[in-house]
Amino acid sequence: MTSTLPAPAATGEKAARRPRHPYLTALATARGRTGLALVGLVVLAGLLAPLLAGHPPTDQSGLTLAPVGTPGHPLGTDDLGRDLLSRLLYGIRADLGIIAAAVPLGAALGCLLALAAAAHPAADTAVQRLFDLILAFPGLILALAVTAALGPGRLPVVLVIALAEIPVFGRLLRTGILAQRGREYVTAARVGGSSGRRILTRHVLPNAADPLVVQIAVSLTVAVFLEGAMSFLGVGVRPPEPTLGAVLSQSMPHLAQAPHFAAGPLVTVTALVLGLSLVAEALNREIRR
Amino acid sequence: MRGLLLRKLPSALLVLFAASVLVFGVLRLVPGDPAAVLAGPDAGPEVLAAVRARLGLDDPLPVQYLDWIGGLLTGDLGPSYVIGGETADLITDGLGATTELTLGALLFAVLIGGTLGILGATARRPWTRGAVRSLTTAALAVPPYVSGVLLVLLFAVLLGVLPPGGRVPLLTAPDLGVQYLLLPALCLALPSAAVLGRYLEDSLRRALAEDHVRTATAAGIAPRRILWRHALPHALPPVVTLLGIQTGHLLGGAVLVEAIFAWPGLGQLAEQALVRRDYPVVQDLLLLLVAVFVLVQLLSDLVHARLDPRIRWE
Amino acid sequence: MTELHPSTPTAPSRRTTLRAAAGGTLLLGLGLTGCRSAVAEAEAPATGAAGPKRGGTLTVAVNTDFTPALLFAQSGQSLQHRLIYNTLTRYDDRLEPRPELATSWEYAPDGRALTLKLRTGVVFHDGRPFTADDVVFAVKNLQNPVRAAQLRSTAAAVTGFEKRGDHELTLRLAHPVNNLFDLFEFMIITDRNSVEDAVAGKRLNGTGPFRLASWRPGTGLSLTRNEKYWQPDRPHLDGVELRVIPQADALVSSLRTGQSQLSYAVPGRNLSTVTAVPELSVTQYDTGGGASYLGVNTSVDPLGDKTVRQALAWAVDRERVLSQVLGGYGLASATPWPKSSPAFTEAGRTHYRHDPGKARELLRSAGHTRLDLPLLHVNLPGETALAEAVQYDLKQIGVHVTLEPTDAATAQKRLISQTMPALWAMGHSFSQVQPSTLAVSAYPFNAAKNTSRFRSETYSRTVREAWTSRATGAEANALRQRVTDTLLDEAFIIDLVIRGSVQVASKKLHGATLNKFSYLNLDDAYLAA
Repeated sequence: MTSTLPAPAATGEKAARRPRHPYLTALATARGRTGLALVGLVVLAGLLAPLLAGHPPTDQSGLTLAPVGTPGHPLGTDDLGRDLLSRLLYGIRADLGIIAAAVPLGAALGCLLALAAAAHPAADTAVQRLFDLILAFPGLILALAVTAALGPGRLPVVLVIALAEIPVFGRLLRTGILAQRGREYVTAARVGGSSGRRILTRHVLPNAADPLVVQIAVSLTVAVFLEGAMSFLGVGVRPPEPTLGAVLSQSMPHLAQAPHFAAGPLVTVTALVLGLSLVAEALNREIRR
Repeated sequence: MRGLLLRKLPSALLVLFAASVLVFGVLRLVPGDPAAVLAGPDAGPEVLAAVRARLGLDDPLPVQYLDWIGGLLTGDLGPSYVIGGETADLITDGLGATTELTLGALLFAVLIGGTLGILGATARRPWTRGAVRSLTTAALAVPPYVSGVLLVLLFAVLLGVLPPGGRVPLLTAPDLGVQYLLLPALCLALPSAAVLGRYLEDSLRRALAEDHVRTATAAGIAPRRILWRHALPHALPPVVTLLGIQTGHLLGGAVLVEAIFAWPGLGQLAEQALVRRDYPVVQDLLLLLVAVFVLVQLLSDLVHARLDPRIRWE
Repeated sequence: MTELHPSTPTAPSRRTTLRAAAGGTLLLGLGLTGCRSAVAEAEAPATGAAGPKRGGTLTVAVNTDFTPALLFAQSGQSLQHRLIYNTLTRYDDRLEPRPELATSWEYAPDGRALTLKLRTGVVFHDGRPFTADDVVFAVKNLQNPVRAAQLRSTAAAVTGFEKRGDHELTLRLAHPVNNLFDLFEFMIITDRNSVEDAVAGKRLNGTGPFRLASWRPGTGLSLTRNEKYWQPDRPHLDGVELRVIPQADALVSSLRTGQSQLSYAVPGRNLSTVTAVPELSVTQYDTGGGASYLGVNTSVDPLGDKTVRQALAWAVDRERVLSQVLGGYGLASATPWPKSSPAFTEAGRTHYRHDPGKARELLRSAGHTRLDLPLLHVNLPGETALAEAVQYDLKQIGVHVTLEPTDAATAQKRLISQTMPALWAMGHSFSQVQPSTLAVSAYPFNAAKNTSRFRSETYSRTVREAWTSRATGAEANALRQRVTDTLLDEAFIIDLVIRGSVQVASKKLHGATLNKFSYLNLDDAYLAA
C-alpha cells in the first residue's frame, strides 16, 4: 500500500498518536474504503503473481489465442500461446514497480524545485523556465529519444514518467505556496514576527500540500498510461516481460476476434483508476473540512 | 501587464537557447544517423561515406550547430534530410493539422470536462453523480490507443458514419473536414476532459464552500448567478493552470492519436523525423514546440494573474 | 457535499449542462448532416458492366510514405515506382524477361555486351521523347554511390555505352554478369534533366501510366492518368491515391470500411481480421518480398564455431513462427529462396527443421551447455513477436537470449557498420530475383564484407563464380547449389521464413500486379461494379 500511496500513509502513521489525522478519517469513509479495496485488490494480485499464476509469463506454446476458460488457461492465451492470466498478473507487478518508483521520484523532484523557487525570485524564474522546458517536449517524443539513447529497459520508462511528473507537481506546489502566501493568516504571522522559514513550514506548506495528495492519485494513473503508450510505440520495458501496456498493445490487432485478450488489462486499469480516484476524492473532502 | 511581459522575455529567450543546445546535442548522442537511413540496409562503406558527405555530417559539430542556427535566424530552414521536401513546408503543413486537432480536442475537453465538473460539483441526485463518476473513470481508464481503436471500430467499421482516418483540411472543405476531425479530436480530448472535469469539480466545491458564496446564498441571490458570478471565477485559476499543462499533454498525446487516425500532424512528423533521424526536421520542430509552449505559458501566466488577484509576481 | 452547503444550486447547472450537451450534439449533427459525407466520398464510383472499365480512382493504403531520397534504392515502399516510371524489362513468373521500354535484346557471343532495342514513340510526362540517352543516364545514375542503389555492383559492371540512333544501345560489360535483367527490372527510367528535383520530391517526371498530381508528405501521393501513355487505352483508372496510414490497425480499418481498396502492408498478425471480411480478398505473392532471418555475429565467442551456429539453426521452430507471428502467410525455410527462385530446392528448405534434441547435442559437442547472448531486433510489433518466438525456442536448448529492441535507424546503422551484437533478427531482400544477386546486393550475404564478419575463401569464390558464370541448365543449378550449401553449412545467416508480399484488395479491383521489387503495376487494373 505504502508503495502506491506513499504520502497519505506516511503522514497517517506519524499522526497516529494525536487525534485522528484527517487523512485517516478520510480513508475510513465508505468512499475511501471502496477505493482502498479496489487498489488493494490490484496491488495484491500483482504482489501474489508468483503464487497465483499457473505458468511463467513468458512460456510459449502452440496454443494460439485460446479463449477464456481453456483448461489450464483461465483467461486464455495470447498470439504466441502464452498464458494471459500469468501475463496479466506479472504485468500488474511490473507496472506497480514502475509507477511506485517513478511517481514519487517525479513528485519529490518537482516539490524540491518548487521549494527552491519559493526561496528567491531569481530561482523562481529559473525553475519556472525549467518546467516549461520539460513540458514543452511532447512526452512521447521525449520517450523515443530517451530510449534511443539509453537502450530498452525499465530505467528509461521510469525516467520518462518521473520527468513528466516533475513540472506537474512543481507547478502545483508553487501555485499553492503563492496563493497561501497572500492569505490573511500568513500576513498575520509575518506581522507577528514569525520567520520566513517558519511561516513556510508551519503555515504555507501544510495548506499548499493538500492538492499534491490528490495529484498523486491522478499521477499514478497517468503513469500507467505513459507506460502503456511507450509499449505501444515499442519503447517500453524489454520484451518478453509483460506490462499492462505491453499486453494491451499486443492485443490490439486481435480486438475483433479475441476481445478477451484486451479485457484483462483494461478491467485492471479501470479498477486501478477508479480505486485511486475514490481514494483521492475521499482525501479531498476530509482535507477541506 | 507589459512590465510582466518585459521581465519574462529574457528568460524565455534563454529557454529557447537551452532547448536548441539540448535538442541538437541529444540528437547527436542518439545512435544511428540520417546517412545510415538513406544509405539503406545493404550499403557498403563507400555509399555511406558518399551520403554522409552530401549531408555535411562530416563537418565539426559546432559548425553544424551554427549552420543550423544561422539558417533559423535568416529564415532558411533548408531541405529535410530523409523525409523529403523543405523543412519549413513540412512543419507548416503539420502545424496546420495539429492545430486543428488540438483546438478540436481542447473544445471537446472544455465542453465535456466543464459539463462533468459542474455536474459533479452541483448535482444532488445520486444517479447523476454516479453517471458523472462512471464517465470520468472510463475516460481516464481507457488509454487513447484503445479508445481510438474502439471509436474507429464503432463509428467507422460497424456504423459506417465517420471515416476511419485521414484528414481533409477544415479550411478547404469544412463539411468534410469536421467529419474527419470528430473522432481523433474526441479520442485526444477524453483523458484531458476527465482530468479537467475532476479539477473543476474539486475547485468548484471549494469555491462554493467559501464564505462569500455562503453569504451570497444567504442573501438570497439566485443559485445560477452564484455559480457563474461567484463560484466559477474563483474556481477557475487552478483549472486554467491545468488547462495550460493539458494543452501540452494534448500535443504529446497527438503522437499516438495521429498515428491511430492517420492524421498528418506534427506528432506524426516528429515521430517519423526522430525515427528516421531527419536532423533538421526534428531540431526545427522541437524548437518550435518549445517556443509555442513558452508563449502559451506566458499567456497563461497573464490570464492567471488577471483571474487571481492574490497572485503577485515579485 | 450536501451537508456542507445545503443550498448548492442545482437547477442552473443542470440547465448549463444541457446547453453544453446540446452544443456538442449540434457540432456532431453539423458534421453528420452536412451536405457531403466523408464516408460516401471515399468510396469508388460504382459502374454497371463486367469487364475492364474506364474511370475511377484507386486508393492504396501504405504504411510508409514515399521517400524521394530513396527513389533509386530498394526502400520500404516502392509501389509508386512503376506507376510514375517504367523499367526496361519485366520478369514473368518464371523469371524470363519481358519487354517494357526495351523491346528486344541480344547478348554478344562472349557475354561482355548486350544490345538493346528501345521502344519508340514513348514520351515523358512533360512531352520530351524517350531515347537511348535516358538509359545511359539511368545506368550511370545508379553507379553513383549517393543513390545507394542495391544493384550498384551490377550497374558498375557496365563500362561502355554505344548508341546507334536514338533507340538502339549497346552496353559493354567489364565482365559477364548473369543478373543484368535484375538491374533492368529494378532501374526506373527517370527524366535525366530533373533528377535532383526528383530526389528532393519536387518533380517526378517519368514515362509511366500515371503522372504526379501532388505529394503531401505524411498524407501521400496523388497520381492522375497519363493521357499520353505509350500503351494504347491504358490505364483504365483515372487516378491513384497512395494514402499513408502508419498504424497497422488503422490501415486494416481503412480497408474494411472501403476507404482504401488495396494494400500490401497488412502485417501477418492482422491478416486473420481481414480474411473474415467478405468484401476483401487476400492474395499471396509467391515471389516474396524478402525473408526473416536470424543473423549471427561470427566474431563473438563462441559463435565463430559453426557447430554452435548450426545448433541455433536446428533450434528454431520455423513453422510456429510462420503461423503465430506471420498469420500463416509465408514459407518456413532454412534457405533464402522462395519457391519461384531457380535456386529453390525442397531439400534445402527443410535442411534445418525444428529439432531441439539435435540442437542441444550439437551445442554439447561444441563444449557448451548454456550460453547467454544478446539479440537485437527492430522495435515494431511484428518484429518483436518474431524475436520473442526465437528467444523462447533458443531458451529450450540452453541459449538464454536477452532481447534488445532497437529503433530502425539504429538497427540499420549497426547492420551496415558491422556493430551488431551476437545475434540479430531482421529481414533481407533480393532472394526473389536471380540467385546471384543476393550475394552481390544484399549486405548480410556480401562475401567481401558483411554484418556477420564472416570471411571464407570458398564462399567468396563460389559467389563470384555464380555471378559471372554464363552457364545455364544443370551447370547453373550446380553453381547455385554450391552457394546454398555454403550458406546452410556456415549458418552465419539463419533463414527462418520467406515472407511473401500479401495483397489485400477489394473484390472490385482487378488486374493489380507487383514486379519482383514490389513496384505496383496498374496498367491493366480496373474497378468493377
